[in-house]
Amino acid sequence: MLGFIIQNNIVCNAVEAMLFTSIACAVLGVIITQINISSIGFTMAHAAFAGAAVGMFLGVSATLVAVAFSLAVALLLGPLSDRAKISTDTALGVLFGMSMAVAIFFIAYMQHIGRGFNATALLFGDVISLYRHEVYGLAVISVLAVLFVVLFYKEISAIVFNRKIAEASGIRVTPIYYGMLFIIAIAVALSLNIIGGLLLYVWLVTPAAIAYQFCYSVRSMFVVAPLIAAAISVAGAVAGLEFSLPVAPLTAVALGGVFMAAVILSPKRRITDSKS
Amino acid sequence: MSCNGEIICLENIYTAYEGAAYPVIRGISLAIRQGEYAIVGGPNGAGKTTLLESINGMLTITHGNAYVCGMDVRRHGHEIRRKVGYVVQSFYFDPLTPFTAEEVITMGRYGLMGLLKRPGEADYRAAEAAIRLLGLEDIAHKPIGTLSGGQQQKVLIAQNIAKEPELMLLDEPFSNLDLCTREFVSGVLRELSRKGIAVVMVCHAFDGLPDERIRILVMRDGSLCLDETCDPDLVEAKVRRASVVQ
Ligand SMILES: Nc1ncnc2c1ncn2[C@@H]1O[C@H](COP(=O)(O)OP(=O)(O)O)[C@@H](O)[C@H]1O
Ligand SMILES: [Mg+2]
Repeated sequence: MLGFIIQNNIVCNAVEAMLFTSIACAVLGVIITQINISSIGFTMAHAAFAGAAVGMFLGVSATLVAVAFSLAVALLLGPLSDRAKISTDTALGVLFGMSMAVAIFFIAYMQHIGRGFNATALLFGDVISLYRHEVYGLAVISVLAVLFVVLFYKEISAIVFNRKIAEASGIRVTPIYYGMLFIIAIAVALSLNIIGGLLLYVWLVTPAAIAYQFCYSVRSMFVVAPLIAAAISVAGAVAGLEFSLPVAPLTAVALGGVFMAAVILSPKRRITDSKS
Repeated sequence: MSCNGEIICLENIYTAYEGAAYPVIRGISLAIRQGEYAIVGGPNGAGKTTLLESINGMLTITHGNAYVCGMDVRRHGHEIRRKVGYVVQSFYFDPLTPFTAEEVITMGRYGLMGLLKRPGEADYRAAEAAIRLLGLEDIAHKPIGTLSGGQQQKVLIAQNIAKEPELMLLDEPFSNLDLCTREFVSGVLRELSRKGIAVVMVCHAFDGLPDERIRILVMRDGSLCLDETCDPDLVEAKVRRASVVQ
């Protein structure tokens, strides 16, 4: 899609993948951070990682099994977090631990039987060996994420404000909530081998956290977060490939640096010294 | 008892929380007419909040019949909530919450509008009218989390007035308000009921009541132990007497 500006195929794929991943994750990240379910994103990322390991063991598409695993997390945790009634910490802890156990089991077992595969891409991300269809998949999910927010902006903002008050106003909270969990699950699973299971969380949380330092409305956060994420991710991809550095970790560090700068510069933390 | 056109009609309802051993609401029957103004009293834990949330369908009624705005609560919760205002008892808004008071008030209209629709002329007008009615012009553009508890409470009341409901449920709306504001808000609510909107309000402070006969409902242990209409200066004594376990 960006082939007309970027001649090199590998660079083009990498930049596009980072662009779409960052947009999808940052848009969904605004919702995730605002309704305090970032631990769900975290657990989904690790479940997707386990799914990918299982997929490789079975010799079927790692991405499909990863999607199935993170959707399963959505289905299992949805009802628990649904009414924000029960603390989901324990359930998340159990699922998170189980995901890691499954992933490690299959990786270790495959190494043991001599079918060892390199898990680094799944853990830390890899933008070099991408297939074209993976990039298309990411494009689709980023468009879906943006469409979801645009179409249901009213409902999402009411839920972000206060779940109970949103429900009392007659909004159908549950279907919106589940729709959101499903899109997050798919986005997380598709982003897995681009930015890695260990780093995904950075994209889900940091861009929204940066935007939060400067934005006074949810609407502006939905615009600012993906713009920041996309700019830094594209720059990270270009710089990483240019200087042969690992792209996802480099970009993740850059996002973290921008977050710290944002906290320092944030007008929300300034105390006025004027007297009137 | 049978329902004939009352805005709330409960027949021997039971409501239980998920996982609880006993129902909290036990065998309540109640009929409230359009434009009626009723006060719900009773000790903490009597089930007042639970009763309100049973009426608007947010909790599951396990037995009995419940009709609100002419619809079966057990089947049409969402539709009912679009027509019923509900001011919640407890809330906390982070000081950095990215919503202004005005946005929060406009949100009262969101359920009514339905999916995929944007707020239109009528919605903004209703929100503006509610802001003016409660005198919130000065704080309308401030982030809700930075307002005082009483101001936040007024914003939530305005949010539900903007909804233009047929029935207004309020759960201890006076808990954060000073005496003057209490009288003022009480007057606003009385005015609503004159326009035909039924008002059902849980409250413990009876000093700002309108000067006319008032329906009082007192709950104890999940049942109604008093349901009568009396003069405002008798309300406090009656509620007090009925609340004490005999
Ligand atoms: N979410 C809940 N889950 C289980 N029990 C609850 C829940 N909320 C309230 N209860 C119980 O229901 C009873 C009535 O509560 P509530 O309706 O809030 O009382 P009131 O509003 O009259 O003070 C109390 O005994 C309380 O413990
Ligand atoms: Mg209560």
